[in-house]
Amino acid sequence: MLDAISAEAIKFTRHRATWGLVWIWPIGLAAIGLVAIAVGLLNPAVADSGQANAAGWIADAVAFWRVPGQGLGRCVIGAFVAMVFAGEYGWNTWKLIVPHRARSTLIAAKYVVALALLGCGFVLGAMVFNLAGWAEDVLTGDPIPPGIELGALAAAHGRGALAAIAPLLLTTAYVSFAAILTRSTVAALMIGFFVTTGEQLFRLFAPLFEPYAPGLIRALYQALPGYHVVNIGGWITTGELLQAPFASGVYSAPFAVSLAIVAFWVVLLVGLTFWRFRRQDIN
Amino acid sequence: MSEFDAPVLELADISKTYGRRAGAVNAVRGVSLSVGAGEVYGFLGPNGAGKSTTIRMLLGLIAPSAGIVRLFGRDLHTDPSVLRRVGSLVDGGNFYPFLSGRRNLEVLAKTHGGGSGRIDALLDQVGLVGDAGRKVKGYSTGMRQRLGVAGALLTDPDIVILDEPVNGLDAAGIQEMRSLIRSLAADRGKTVFLSSHLLNEVQQVCDRVAIIHKGEVVRESTVADLLRQDARSLRIEAAPLAAAEAALAGRWAVERSGEALLVAAARAETPEVVKRLVGAGIDLFGLAPVHSSLEDVFLAITAEEPGDA
Repeated sequence: MLDAISAEAIKFTRHRATWGLVWIWPIGLAAIGLVAIAVGLLNPAVADSGQANAAGWIADAVAFWRVPGQGLGRCVIGAFVAMVFAGEYGWNTWKLIVPHRARSTLIAAKYVVALALLGCGFVLGAMVFNLAGWAEDVLTGDPIPPGIELGALAAAHGRGALAAIAPLLLTTAYVSFAAILTRSTVAALMIGFFVTTGEQLFRLFAPLFEPYAPGLIRALYQALPGYHVVNIGGWITTGELLQAPFASGVYSAPFAVSLAIVAFWVVLLVGLTFWRFRRQDIN
Repeated sequence: MSEFDAPVLELADISKTYGRRAGAVNAVRGVSLSVGAGEVYGFLGPNGAGKSTTIRMLLGLIAPSAGIVRLFGRDLHTDPSVLRRVGSLVDGGNFYPFLSGRRNLEVLAKTHGGGSGRIDALLDQVGLVGDAGRKVKGYSTGMRQRLGVAGALLTDPDIVILDEPVNGLDAAGIQEMRSLIRSLAADRGKTVFLSSHLLNEVQQVCDRVAIIHKGEVVRESTVADLLRQDARSLRIEAAPLAAAEAALAGRWAVERSGEALLVAAARAETPEVVKRLVGAGIDLFGLAPVHSSLEDVFLAITAEEPGDA
């Protein structure tokens, strides 16, 4: 298994487009940070006025961890996963490796490498985001509130990272299944985009449509992962559960229920990916 | 049957059907063949005959709709790990275009779970040492093909399956490939299963061949037998030549070829030809079957409908 993981790592750390989707966060954020610093230095009037207290400053410093759960972040995750899983079809290279390893091992290695590289990208992105914010404050003369402790900052990063896991896993599961099913990077990316967007729109607008099909809408809302991903993130970072304002009554699932439902969807989609690939003809 | 007395490769009545009901296409129908250890086995057929589908089935890339693929006596469906003893080159060596030739072999070695120690020797063997650091997207078809052969031999497999291994190679490359295939079997005891449309190459390197046409194996035999069975003319040196021509012309088609006659008689008809010539008082100086080339045989067989052969 370690050999298979190593083989995957060789491939995708040398494929510019895929590797770029990992480094887009730290490099992009560093660039944005430098621009913000330059603007702040050249024109102090537009510089960020900063946070007045330590809790607010820390919350701003770890705000990057919200990205994996938002539309743009999930699109980038989807693009990366589509490249990792569907790239072999485009390069016609499954024929090269499938005869020599159990198919389940090949897919498992792809999951390990995809999640590890995405994890590295997001951790580095969060560090760069944090450092860029601090550097901007220092260089532009914004006051840094007293009482900021390294332990509190690290704990906030930890909570942010934990909250990012559910959308990361769910997006990976959607797109990997779409990639194996369609054998196309573009199709996987498009399906991933539409499914994640649909999931988010349904979470936002389902309460509005409840009067048209009360039982069905509420049941779907409870069974689909959209609400639960956000609920998990909210509970981890703020300790509060998400209240969904249905006309028939507010819906709020306990953390454990949301965790179980998201886990169910991830396991189902990943399981389907393994099952489909094991039975697939490589023409 | 133990592993040692089983054929190295055996296809038992395998079929592959794509689609369902009215739209179903039978790409391969009831193909059975077996290949023994150390044999060089040629698999021939026109485009669309089912060669590639068959090769993909014996590599576990696609699942047969019916039948069994056995490697070293073990059912591939229930024990796919047996493919670790197989090296393959399919579709002209598709590699990761953004990696160098050497990196591609490293990826392959890691996927196999071994073999990286042989990379340098294999690159040398296929003449790619100087280009090993270049990205594969800059390789010519022939270079990819040679890299594919190196990949197929990476784990020192017991059987090597080569799908059109000489595609894209120049004359010297083809000759090198021919030597390599021969040495794999003769010097290293490997079994080679090879498909090619270059029939002259197959004729020179293969011990046995199967010809597949419209999804069915229409002929399987040693190359020598195939050519002998399909020898359909005799070359006769006799005097006087005109009298010999007259004696035979009523029974067979006869044409002059320099100082000899070419008579369209099958090998089994040789005694009758001799009797006619001797009966007509003609001096017979030489008589030999004219062997068809494998290409002639192949074209004759594939011109027939499956089942006619």
